Amino acid sequence: MPPAEPVAAVPSPTDAALIAAWQGGDEQAAAELVRRHARALARFLAGAGAPEADLDDVVQETFIRAFRAVATFRGQCRFRTWLLTIGGNVLKDAHRRAKRSRVVPLGDDLRSTDGDPHERAVAAEAEGRLGEGLQQLPRLQREVFLLRAQQGLEYEEIAAALGTTPGAARVHYHHAVKRLKECLK
Amino acid sequence: MKDDATFHDAKLHELAQRLGTRAAERLDVDRTAHAVVARLREEARAPARPSVWSRPAWLKIAAALVVVAGAGVVARGMWPARPSAAAPVETVDLSGMSAPQLRELLRSVEQPGAPEPVSSQDVGLEDLSPAQLRALLASLETETS
Repeated sequence: MPPAEPVAAVPSPTDAALIAAWQGGDEQAAAELVRRHARALARFLAGAGAPEADLDDVVQETFIRAFRAVATFRGQCRFRTWLLTIGGNVLKDAHRRAKRSRVVPLGDDLRSTDGDPHERAVAAEAEGRLGEGLQQLPRLQREVFLLRAQQGLEYEEIAAALGTTPGAARVHYHHAVKRLKECLK
Repeated sequence: MKDDATFHDAKLHELAQRLGTRAAERLDVDRTAHAVVARLREEARAPARPSVWSRPAWLKIAAALVVVAGAGVVARGMWPARPSAAAPVETVDLSGMSAPQLRELLRSVEQPGAPEPVSSQDVGLEDLSPAQLRALLASLETETS
């Protein structure tokens, strides 16, 4: 029996390659982009106030809008960052339509079965307060905060995605942090 | 104090990173991907909605006619209506009138706010100015004398 040859890891295609493939009619490329970014998008949207019951719909709508407008994506930031900003717009429209605003519900977090129940409850309460605090912020401050603190993006990347300057993004972030700390006291 | 602030910053970051994680974990990514692809396929199959300018020609012509008719109505409303030249008039044979009758007629024409003079379609008396009527009267007086 011949020795097994080492299997070379196949590099996964870049987002740009998948976008080009989708534009060339490859549906699987679109599906791969969704699989790759859906969870990060869902996390961002949930943090920004999307009710969990509507999360799948908002995620789908964001991807549909992104694919429709993909020709306008010039690579000024990463595809995921661009996607998150589209998600912010979709969520804003959804809130406007529904005239409702809800943070990630406390009960959903308490449904989790891992860890100490008391710690879970404390953590869930803190998350709930943070979610409520985020809803009190102006949209730009909220999105800058989430892109920075939740998604871990650099100010340059945030500024490019939101059409502002890194300095302004930094100021928005610090205002958001100051107000959120007050909510968590 | 600084340690306290750092602690709060770290706590805030930790919370922010956890925010929405459970909701995102519950998302069925494969199902979402299938749904998105299905919607994209459906959109690609659906015929593009025709724009106004690609509708049939008759629709454009009808729209143009409506615009022209509307403009006409608006224009008529903007300018005061001109007196109709074909107003109904009573036919009077001027040649059969005596000099006093003509003088009476002239007086009524010259009076402000007087009713419209009786005019003749044949002669077009309504078109004559007082001076012309006076000249006409003078000529008739000459004829009768």
